[in-house]
Amino acid sequence: MELQAVLMAAGGGSRMMDLTYNTPKPLLPVGNKPLIWYPLNLLERVGFEEVIVITTKEVQKMISTDPKVKLDVKMKLDLVCIQEDADMGTADALRHIQQKVKTDVLVVSCDLITDAALHEVVDLFRAHNATLSMLMSKAHEFTETVPGQKGKKKTGEQRDFVGVDGTGKRLLFMANEADLDEGVVIRKSIMRKHPRMHIKTGLVDAHLYCLKKSVVDFLADNKSISSIRGELVPYLVRKQFSKSTNSPKVIDETHQNLKKNDSNVNLEIQISSRDEELLHLTQERSCWNDHRGDMSDAYHGGRLRCYVHIMDEGICYRVNTEMSILPWSFSAYYLFTDNILPHSIIGASCQISDKTSIKRSTIGVSTTVREKVKVTNSIIMHGVTIEEGCNIQGSVICSNAVIGRGADIKYCLVGSAQRIEPDGEHTTMSKACSA
Amino acid sequence: MSSRGGKQKKGNVTSEQEEEEQPLQAVLVADSFNRRFFPISKDQPRALLPLGNVAMIDYTLEFLTSTGVQETFVFCCWMSNKIKDHLLKSKWCRPTSPNVVHIITSDLYRSLGDVLRDVDAKNLVRNDFILVYGDVVSNIDVSQALQEHRHRRKVDKNISVMTMVFKESSPGHKSRCEEDDVIVAMDSKSKRFSMGTDEFEIRHDLLDCHISICSPQVAELFTDNFDYQTRNDFVRGILVNEEILGNQIHLYVTQDGYGARVSNLQMYDSVSSDMVRRWVYPLTPEANFTDQQGQGCTHSRHNVYRGAEVSLGHGSQMEENVLIGRDTSIGANCHISNSVIGNNCTIGDNVVLDRAHMWNNVHISSNVEIHQSVVCDGAVVKEAVRLNKQCVLAYNVVIGPNLSLPEGTVVSMHHPEEEEEDDDDEFLSDDQEVGHSKDKTRQKAFNPAEVGPEGKGYIWKASMNDTEDEELAQCLWGLVLNPDPESDSESEASEESQDRTFQLEVLGTLQRGLEENIVCDNLVLEINSLKYAYNITLKEVMQILTRVVLEYPFQQQGTQLTTLQYTGSLLPLLKTWSPVFKNYIKRAQDHLDCLSAVEELFLEQDTHQTAMVKVLMKMYQLEILEEEAILKWFSTGATNDKSRQLRKNQGLQKFIQWLKEAEDESSEEGE
Repeated sequence: MELQAVLMAAGGGSRMMDLTYNTPKPLLPVGNKPLIWYPLNLLERVGFEEVIVITTKEVQKMISTDPKVKLDVKMKLDLVCIQEDADMGTADALRHIQQKVKTDVLVVSCDLITDAALHEVVDLFRAHNATLSMLMSKAHEFTETVPGQKGKKKTGEQRDFVGVDGTGKRLLFMANEADLDEGVVIRKSIMRKHPRMHIKTGLVDAHLYCLKKSVVDFLADNKSISSIRGELVPYLVRKQFSKSTNSPKVIDETHQNLKKNDSNVNLEIQISSRDEELLHLTQERSCWNDHRGDMSDAYHGGRLRCYVHIMDEGICYRVNTEMSILPWSFSAYYLFTDNILPHSIIGASCQISDKTSIKRSTIGVSTTVREKVKVTNSIIMHGVTIEEGCNIQGSVICSNAVIGRGADIKYCLVGSAQRIEPDGEHTTMSKACSA
Repeated sequence: MSSRGGKQKKGNVTSEQEEEEQPLQAVLVADSFNRRFFPISKDQPRALLPLGNVAMIDYTLEFLTSTGVQETFVFCCWMSNKIKDHLLKSKWCRPTSPNVVHIITSDLYRSLGDVLRDVDAKNLVRNDFILVYGDVVSNIDVSQALQEHRHRRKVDKNISVMTMVFKESSPGHKSRCEEDDVIVAMDSKSKRFSMGTDEFEIRHDLLDCHISICSPQVAELFTDNFDYQTRNDFVRGILVNEEILGNQIHLYVTQDGYGARVSNLQMYDSVSSDMVRRWVYPLTPEANFTDQQGQGCTHSRHNVYRGAEVSLGHGSQMEENVLIGRDTSIGANCHISNSVIGNNCTIGDNVVLDRAHMWNNVHISSNVEIHQSVVCDGAVVKEAVRLNKQCVLAYNVVIGPNLSLPEGTVVSMHHPEEEEEDDDDEFLSDDQEVGHSKDKTRQKAFNPAEVGPEGKGYIWKASMNDTEDEELAQCLWGLVLNPDPESDSESEASEESQDRTFQLEVLGTLQRGLEENIVCDNLVLEINSLKYAYNITLKEVMQILTRVVLEYPFQQQGTQLTTLQYTGSLLPLLKTWSPVFKNYIKRAQDHLDCLSAVEELFLEQDTHQTAMVKVLMKMYQLEILEEEAILKWFSTGATNDKSRQLRKNQGLQKFIQWLKEAEDESSEEGE
């Protein structure tokens, strides 16, 4: 077994609270499939037979009991539950399963919908004996109105600056706009080694990482790192260019005080121990080099290397905000099953009366749609009742909601088990919980 | 501008044609406006210094002519007469020259800015022009860049004002000038200097050739803005004001071709060797492109070039990359490699030359060894002299015999101080008569220890003046910049240093407070303002303050104090500064923080641990610290072996015991 797959499905979906109020994020219906199905399918298609799923008790229970949540995968799922209220980050979760990790790992987030060729990422990992390789994609522009939001809101997230070398593969630099005080600061020593650096913004991080086993071991020793994306990856990227002749002092000064004195384990040493002697010898004897222009060894003698595969085309999508669920919910499922894109998806045991018009929408299981209803560009989740003469456009209706007779709903977000009064007219509102 | 007005009336096609037909112009600045080549450039302007036995300005002019420039304006300032004489004699001023050279001299030019303002004032340029310095050696074909520039100007309505020519060359390449180490942020698609867009490229593999294609607006912009002195000022100004003024600067990056500016001797050395190694083809030594009689030479294996009438003694070897000018004679058993030797030189027997640059009429005696050095016209090197790396013998210097010059020695016939004396009028008058007469009066003052028993010349020290600018000017060979140490915690380092500077400032404040008897309230005010200046938290302020005060005796009287002396000088200080302490130590946590700072210091100064109890006692008496805090600290503060050890100190235990009893008593009294 070369890689172990780890699926992170414990996130609460804090950026889409309105939707995840009742349904946990991994089980949100997207194209009438739970969100978690997409990364699982991705892994299954490339031939993984087993996957460690880190999730919460709630999700586990629903997967095993709820008939509406059909995962429909043949892989062996190793469900690992973590406490929901422990506020664990992705790195914490990885640390949690350290015992299970026997080889290098492929970490995937449960909100990823992509048709990316996974082997590209893994090949980078293999070819360069990399410590980290990850997947990114060019960001998509949203043009549609977001349900439940007044006007077009700018993405609250700050831009990420990602620096890659001339080949566009080696990850040299990573910073978030929020962390930058006065512009981008890049060390000259990096520039000397990699004289051409492309700085890219507007990339979506797919949260898909290949990590060396030693990194997981390193996490176990460094309790202060709690998030993969927020802390571990930037740390590894930075660490690529620190002195290879590391003093046995401390590996990470910032976490110095948090660590016990006896656990001064050096990441560098761990990683170099992975560099088997033969491999080293091959590199020494070979005339291959990853760069040109100076006389130094391949990789400049560095042992820690980070790579990134940036997708130019194709779908790479993260369902982590309300706005991201709508445009993709509809077409995503069919992209993966090679079916022709239909006008709409209707779930099982739905009651749909005459004289209704349903366009470009998904309708979940056991939903009742009465007469003279018009649904366009919307997501209707499970068990929703839509009374006569409603007009629903560009909206998300969560499970078990009831839409009163003749309601006119445009770009709204209706939370689960909500009741919309008859004959009301609503635009861009968000009614989530019965507050 | 009138010509342009006329143009617009005609149809589009004709105006285009006309633009094509208009002769390409160039502005050549034959002055460096700095003194990097002093003392060599005291006798000869930089543009006329020979490189591969040809004056540098000839390379520049040849480059311009070969790219199709038909009209060149040469601007001279320093020693303009010499440049003028040289040009009038050269092929550029013959009637057949395809490139018409106009020489414009003025003693008032102080910078590139002045030159371009003059270009604007005299209305010399009519169209896009090429701007170069007189010390640029290049074979880049800029016509491609010129086309791109013109295209951009046509498309974008004169938004692009300048296209700078860069050559790809990886960092550390020897033709890269260490001081001119550019890092460029560019938009890879539009080849524009920019950082704003979604995707840009940061490049460190570019070499600035100092060749720029300028729109006529450049001269106007220089006139508009008197702050612009150098091209760097200009580029920066344009980029900063890009959003306001809308002007843009583009780059042209070439993979092949050669372009470099001889900006210091290091560059001179590398450009000269590149030249001999034929990187600047077709500008090679044997090409004799200056078309001067007798300059021709033959090219043979291993890049050995020989001029006419060169005689080589028995057993002498010219290993590789050697250029020897005409009428030069070389003695027996010499060993010459990677060197350029000028015309009419005589070289004795058993001479070793490696990376030597010898100009004309140099006389070298036997048994001389020269490594990576420059020997100017008319210099004489006597027997058994050794020039180590990076030596410079300026014009007419005599060295030796039997002497070894240390690395980086600069010898000149001009006295170093003379420069300072006529500093003011130097730019205005370039007649060196005064200087020469002074030389004569000083000639007795040659130091035989420095230049040898028969030597003539003065040693120029690398850093004669205190000011940094002057020091820079003296670095003939260019600066050696140390690469930044590799570490990934730069922010931390800076934070640490900020703490450190804050500590020093606090120390300074307290010191001044003692000397000038400043009231403690004012000291607090000053420390508070420092706190904001360095962004230090209150806790840190207190810890640093404690540390500074406790270290004060060491600071003042050295670290060899006995414990007795230490406490003797510290305790009165504590008394003086107790209001300062009280100001910062108020809450219970503050007391503990202060105590831990005290503890930390005494853990470091473990020989003085006995003094600790006295310090604590004094602080208790002065009511800086409260007894509960001390007791609490004593019982709970121990975190590691060392501090546990510290707490076993007898004096301290007694003190604590005493405190406890005192507390009991006071509580009893209270009841």
